[in-house]
Amino acid sequence: MQLSIRATGEHVEVLSYLLAKNPNNIYERTENGHLVRMFFNRFEAEHVDVTFFVTPDPIELSRNNAGQYDITSYINDREFAVSSIFCSLLRTALGTALNGKPKPEYAEWVNHSFPLHISVGPIASALSDGAIRELFEPLGYQVEFVYSETTDDLDLTKKHAARMLQLSGMTTLQSALRQLYVLIPVMDNYKHYFIDEKEIEKLKRYGEGWLDSHPQRTYILKQALRFKDVYRLLEEEPVAKVQKANHQRLNDLRYEAIIGKVSALPERRVVIDMGAGEGKLASKLGFVPGIELIYAVEPSERERLKALKRYEKNAEDKTFNQPVSMFGSLFYVDDRLRGADVFILCEVIEHIDEDRIPKMMATLLDTYRPKSLFVTTPNREYNEVYGLDSSYRHPDHRFEWTRSEFMSFCETQAALFGYSCTFSGIGENHPTFGEPTQLAEFTRKQVI
Amino acid sequence: MRIQLPYAGIVLLVGPSNSGKSTWLKQLIEDETIRPSEVVSSDDYRKLVGDVEHIDWKGHPPDEADTLYEAYQDISTEAFALMTSLIEARARLNKLTIIDATHLYASDRKTYIELARRLHQPIYALVLDVEQHTLLERDQQRDFPRGGRRVKQQVQVFNREKRSMKREGFDQVHVIANVDEVDLTRQMNNRLHLSTDDGIDVIGDIHGCFDEFIELLERLGYIQNEEGLYVHPEGRTFLSLGDIMSRGPKSLDTILFFIRHVEAGVAKMIDSNHGWKVLRWLEGRNVTMKHGDELFVEELHAFEEENGAELTEALKSSMKRLLKHAPSHYVLTKHDIPTAVCVHAGIRDEFIGKSSREISDFCRYGDNDGFDDAGKPIRKDWTVHHRSNKLIIWGHDPRPRPLRLNQTINIDQGVVFGGRLTAFRYPEQTIVQVEANQDYAQVDDNPLAMLEAKRLDPPNIGKFMNGYTVETEAIGAVKVSKETALPSIDLVSHHTVPLEELVYIPPTMSPTPKPAAEEGYLEHPNEAIAYYRELGITRLIAEKKHMGSRAILLLFKNEDAAERAIGRRTKGIIYTRSGRRFFESEQELEVVTRLHQSLTSNDYFTSHQTEFVLLDAEILPWNLKARELIRHQYAHVAEQALLDREQLKRSLESAVDRVDGIREWYREVSQKLEQAETFKQTFQTYCWDVEDLNAIKIAPFHVLAHSEETFFDKTHEWHMTMNQRFSEMDELFLATDYRIIEDAETETDVIEWWKAMTEDGHEGIVIKPERFLTQVEGKLIQPAIKVRGRKYLSIIYGMDYLEPDNLKRLKKRNVSKKQKLALREFALGIEGVKRFVERESLERYHECVLATLAMEAEPVDPRL
Repeated sequence: MQLSIRATGEHVEVLSYLLAKNPNNIYERTENGHLVRMFFNRFEAEHVDVTFFVTPDPIELSRNNAGQYDITSYINDREFAVSSIFCSLLRTALGTALNGKPKPEYAEWVNHSFPLHISVGPIASALSDGAIRELFEPLGYQVEFVYSETTDDLDLTKKHAARMLQLSGMTTLQSALRQLYVLIPVMDNYKHYFIDEKEIEKLKRYGEGWLDSHPQRTYILKQALRFKDVYRLLEEEPVAKVQKANHQRLNDLRYEAIIGKVSALPERRVVIDMGAGEGKLASKLGFVPGIELIYAVEPSERERLKALKRYEKNAEDKTFNQPVSMFGSLFYVDDRLRGADVFILCEVIEHIDEDRIPKMMATLLDTYRPKSLFVTTPNREYNEVYGLDSSYRHPDHRFEWTRSEFMSFCETQAALFGYSCTFSGIGENHPTFGEPTQLAEFTRKQVI
Repeated sequence: MRIQLPYAGIVLLVGPSNSGKSTWLKQLIEDETIRPSEVVSSDDYRKLVGDVEHIDWKGHPPDEADTLYEAYQDISTEAFALMTSLIEARARLNKLTIIDATHLYASDRKTYIELARRLHQPIYALVLDVEQHTLLERDQQRDFPRGGRRVKQQVQVFNREKRSMKREGFDQVHVIANVDEVDLTRQMNNRLHLSTDDGIDVIGDIHGCFDEFIELLERLGYIQNEEGLYVHPEGRTFLSLGDIMSRGPKSLDTILFFIRHVEAGVAKMIDSNHGWKVLRWLEGRNVTMKHGDELFVEELHAFEEENGAELTEALKSSMKRLLKHAPSHYVLTKHDIPTAVCVHAGIRDEFIGKSSREISDFCRYGDNDGFDDAGKPIRKDWTVHHRSNKLIIWGHDPRPRPLRLNQTINIDQGVVFGGRLTAFRYPEQTIVQVEANQDYAQVDDNPLAMLEAKRLDPPNIGKFMNGYTVETEAIGAVKVSKETALPSIDLVSHHTVPLEELVYIPPTMSPTPKPAAEEGYLEHPNEAIAYYRELGITRLIAEKKHMGSRAILLLFKNEDAAERAIGRRTKGIIYTRSGRRFFESEQELEVVTRLHQSLTSNDYFTSHQTEFVLLDAEILPWNLKARELIRHQYAHVAEQALLDREQLKRSLESAVDRVDGIREWYREVSQKLEQAETFKQTFQTYCWDVEDLNAIKIAPFHVLAHSEETFFDKTHEWHMTMNQRFSEMDELFLATDYRIIEDAETETDVIEWWKAMTEDGHEGIVIKPERFLTQVEGKLIQPAIKVRGRKYLSIIYGMDYLEPDNLKRLKKRNVSKKQKLALREFALGIEGVKRFVERESLERYHECVLATLAMEAEPVDPRL
């Protein structure tokens, strides 16, 4: 990871004073085991070229990595690409220039604009060349990129090509460096330290005089302050996108439909929400009269913790029947689930490989034999309305069924285990494609 | 008068003061008939708690007398409480206790009768009936006379109660007028103990399958002697776990056989549910002879028609004798130390070595919890409560194979249902079996068929979710913590192939236990070879380690075979080392179909008489599975490094002569640039375009199993030869190079081979002992050690890892945890495959797979 600053023309040798570095020596120091070095490739009356280079200690770097036990963390670009690590390690070496505090006799040069050519990189960024230009061109730079010379014999490396960013423009050394300090972490997809309010302070200081008028200001701030909570301290978040709102509404409609059906059941003492996730449906079931016991079954610990928080929020409400969070899986038999009145599989089956479904249904309808079972799943036909051609609604969906596929599946299962089955749709009706969600209600037949 | 005291139990002496109880006991202790610790006396306990044996309140004014009497009562209460808890403790430990007190009142005796019942101990009453005048005489002579009035009062009570005592529930009541006329002995050994010092063969439920039984005895080495008895030349004897009759064809022959052998002392037989039922029927009780017992009745009628009533009556009484004396269980001993228990249906730890009606019931039927809708008993799993170290050998509940569970083993393999008759040899703990000639029982609910039908039922989550233990043959118990079990259950619920298809997860493998001594290397074959040499293993195999992605292939002879094995119609499945489907479904079908065709056209399945083959393999190229990882991680990092170093090298060039120290820096960056180049070339060695199927290479290195057998007992050379054969059947299969290490020359040869191969960028080699399963001093050793090449390791430890300062630090790595996991996962893998091949239930083979996944969730340095 490196930064070169080249300047040609009158007075450029002053730069060595602004940087407070001796042009005839290698500057070398270690920061927490990482090596920071600088040298002047050229130092002539009208041509100065200086390079800063940081060599992190790869072993130290991986040791401090959070994902210590994930093999990919040992082979990563943090040793090479410019990032917040680079900025931190260079902080001392560039201190004088960044703060604009050279020896008093050179103070007047702090605000002097030089024709600077800056080369910084390599950059590891998901941003396109064009997007990077939009960050620097408004600041008055001419932007160019230099790529690796090694030819690629495999198409594996085509994406995310490593680049050196080259900027040319008339500017003061201090503001060029400050702009880089803000924008390097913006381009990079990672920050190595915890982001908190101090980061806002830093942004204000380094962004003074240019950030507020930058056309990409919002984007820069969002990227710089990765965590929403910190970002909110500075700016209110814009309204969520429309599609997300739609999605939200369908979720609610689905819960409403299920709650309505469950409330109408004569027998609903014990209700089991299989694949309860973060407990949204289970919390709503907590307010349905006549339900004595709700089991919210979920195998993911993370989701279960979220669900517990959700239930706790309602804990003070006396009408709320706190669901029992349970670890569980559809592919095992769980004696605790025997004897329940109602089972609910809300948007669960489409996350299961299709060939595992029949066995799961046998466990539900043959082993547990609830009086009622509700199953909801996306209606594939409706994807047309969403403009999804062949893709599924969620990357984890293993399948999505049309209405006739779902109905024939449910009817087969119902017949197999002595249940009857009715169907309905949830969400806005489309004359051709039906509703976005389909619901099947299984009812156990009376044994004569 | 002869009285024999039981080996363990409670004996109450009953009699008024001065009847001679203590004197008699003293005498018995002196002549060593009983031990002093076996006697508990109320007088002693009064002394222990209250310092005095007796308080005399006679002759005191009423107020003083009341207080003294009260004090005496208090002492007595405390003394009896202490006594009772001592007696209880002794009863629990199956000891004999003789209680020296008057026991005049029914309520006193009732306490002990109940205690004995509750703790499954026999209880005897020895009643000393002495003339009143003798008692009064003796009272005069003692230190603290009780006084005539009190003695007379006691005699009155005694005479009143004497007659009813026999009905109070004692196992034996003996009324003794004169102790000098009593010949008192005691049983010195527990009748339930059985020495196995000459060896014993425990036989599972025979159910009248007499032919199979005789065949089994012969196979066990028993020979018929001149008297027609089956005896063993080495002095071994056999023991039946009961249910020798009913359901099967030759109940009478089997019973006759056991009557003769048990009476001759060369065989033993245990009580059982059918035996008990038959006994009660023979005794004329009102029992319904069904569930196969009716066949016994028919046989007996036929016998009577042929041999007449007299012979039949004689036979009946011998049968009654045999069945009546069959104990509830036997405790097997080795050098007089109890080590195992033989029982028909089940036992609780606290019952072992004891007898009672309740114990007999439990031993006959196991732990039953009522009856189901069909009227069949609901059997509860008593084995989960077994905590002691004694191995419990049981039958009753047929299982397709001898089932070891929680230090118990079931050896009823349902011979009468068309299964097998099993003998369990003790103390060798080996199994000998005979196949049934046919299914004799012919019932709709054949228990073996029902187990088979339920084989792939979903496992019970309760067994796993709080952590559990897997009993492996290779290394014993492997514990799985709750913390690692839960995410593994989550994994198999969402991401892997279905549970029933996930039969094996390959174990992890340790690198060289010590870092390379040779400079400039992190790993070197020397250290792997040294590891095995130090353990005394001289013949080793070195196999080339391919760099691709690990895969398990389960290929079936046909779809019927797949349905039988995993419950789904398919030609085969291929999954990764974490249980995920290896290929997209279309490509999987293509690969599997192709392999199936090749194996079939080479008669693989028919010539090996197998329904499937289970292979552990590496699939190449690496990018086939790891494409995204390579792109985002390795290619990306290589490019970043190259660009960074090229740029710096160019900048430095211009200042080489101008600034001091730049020349060294320039040399340094040139070196680093080369390292980045090596890194890039190295990972590209493992990648190539896969435009058509033939570019895929599958290198199987273990043939884990066929449908009838596993191959963990084969040498690795055998596995490599199989691998060679596969490569001849289809070009998708890749043969693996290997060398044998047996002396200095071959060792050097392997090291040279490794050096040349790894210089070309290949991953390296795996060094293994000659045999798959190798134990040293009874302990399993590392089954394989990987030795990775210098170049390959740069994609693991980073492109600059060989720089002296880095290497020095990296050599401090510790592989002990990795080694432990490698051993456990290895043992679990073998166990799971064996269970799958043995057609055990899904729950049984899944527990091994789940455990391996849980081991993989343990935090360990992934670079090892």
